[in-house]
Amino acid sequence: MEEVIFGSNIMQLFIALILVSTFMILGSTRLYSCVRAFGIQSFLLASVAGVVALSTGKIDIYIVAILTLAIKSILIPYIFIYIIREIKVKREIALYVGISPSLIIGGILVVISYYLIRSINVITDLSSFALSASMSLVSIGLFIMISRKKAIMQMLGILIMENGLFLGAISLTNGMPLLVELGIFFDVLIGVLIMGILIFRINKTFETIDTDMLKNLIG
Amino acid sequence: MISQIIISFFQIIIILALAPLLSGIIKKIKAFFQIRKGASVFQPYYDIAKLLRKDSVVSENVSWIFHAAPVISFAAVLTAGLIVPVFISDMPFSFAGDLIAVIYLFALARFFTALASLDAGSSFGGMGGSREMFVASMVEPALMLSIFAVALNVGSTNLSQISQIVSAMGLSAISPYHLLAFVAFFIIAIAETGRIPVDNPATHLELTMIHEAMILEYSGKQLAIVELGAMVKQLLVFSLLANIFFPWGIANDVGFVNMAIALIVFLIKIIVLGALMAIVETSTAKWRLFRLPDLLSVSLMLSFLSIVSFIIVKGG
Repeated sequence: MEEVIFGSNIMQLFIALILVSTFMILGSTRLYSCVRAFGIQSFLLASVAGVVALSTGKIDIYIVAILTLAIKSILIPYIFIYIIREIKVKREIALYVGISPSLIIGGILVVISYYLIRSINVITDLSSFALSASMSLVSIGLFIMISRKKAIMQMLGILIMENGLFLGAISLTNGMPLLVELGIFFDVLIGVLIMGILIFRINKTFETIDTDMLKNLIG
Repeated sequence: MISQIIISFFQIIIILALAPLLSGIIKKIKAFFQIRKGASVFQPYYDIAKLLRKDSVVSENVSWIFHAAPVISFAAVLTAGLIVPVFISDMPFSFAGDLIAVIYLFALARFFTALASLDAGSSFGGMGGSREMFVASMVEPALMLSIFAVALNVGSTNLSQISQIVSAMGLSAISPYHLLAFVAFFIIAIAETGRIPVDNPATHLELTMIHEAMILEYSGKQLAIVELGAMVKQLLVFSLLANIFFPWGIANDVGFVNMAIALIVFLIKIIVLGALMAIVETSTAKWRLFRLPDLLSVSLMLSFLSIVSFIIVKGG
């Protein structure tokens, strides 16, 4: 059954588009366009879940798809935009690694995750594209957390990692039990809220959300 | 044999006839989005006709390169036009070269335009030439990679075969690698035809122009040839985009009805692509030159990803 779903053309298209949106985040220098690309990515993820739900007919996965749509692609971007607007942060994101090098590193990460997935060799061609895409999402999310200075981008990075895990979970298990998914969604939402509050505090204390400044001692 | 010669002639005539029209249509659509009335879609024809009636003014310091460059560039682009499928997929000259030949013919045209821009010794010409080469150094690898992604899928680098096989595959040809390569190629097409985030075709503001700066020294008949060459190249890039990535409707064999339908379908495709280009042009601002590597490396990475995902999906 899984073979049929994840080998299908439409699924692969969605997964390819998820990768494109990840590279949109890597390639843009504006906070708003990063957030927008994250919204698109989550929307595509919800579509992936929707396709799985359609083909398996499980009611649980429908709920998961709708929750993904509501929370990840609408609510969380809205919270992001609220934070950006409230703390009046500069729209440009500051980088440790330039745009072109980060894109190239992103490409290398995709290749590495493909080889990692292939070397696991548990599931052969069952959903290797979805799995390696999820692995690359996790690693690119981690890379975004490392290479961006703004605290908001680090928040975004961890959410991209979470999206990658979601894609991996849904492609491996064809949808986890609803209870687990609900727990994860609640965690993510609360995590975003806490991180948002943390960013407000960082901004209040240091008057910047540049994490570079956090290293300085304040007497 | 004779029918093939006729087809080749017909193709060249079609390309020459449609190229200014495409330019005019894009300008008109752009004007529509900017709530202007805009010039007639036939304006590029009038411009070229006007330029052809005028004499050229040539600096006395230039060498033969300056005179040869427009002709060589134009000939190179037209030769590429014999290989790129436009309305019929089985090109008579497809034995003579594949997509690599097309890319190098474009490169030849670009090389001579850049040489000519240096020849007159004006500062703007040199600036335009160096910028053009800077952009080209990033466009060409991405262009190759993105077409290779499709070629890998089809199993041939021959453009005629690519468009035949993809059109035979029908909608099942739409796959992740196809899509990624299409997005990559679209970004390249923006750069290759000198459109807004990369170059502004409408400007004569010295500091921002690339192509215009290179041909600043040309006038009269030579300018007409250069302009027409640029328009033909734009049409060819569009038809590459149309006939490699969605060649459905192209005529696969010789036949009057087939070819007539294919021509109409082709017109619709390039007008849609032109409208897309116009939307991109109106909704973005011209980028700073040193930000261009970012855009072009997105394209490079997408075409790279497309090849990688081909390998992943096919389980190489």
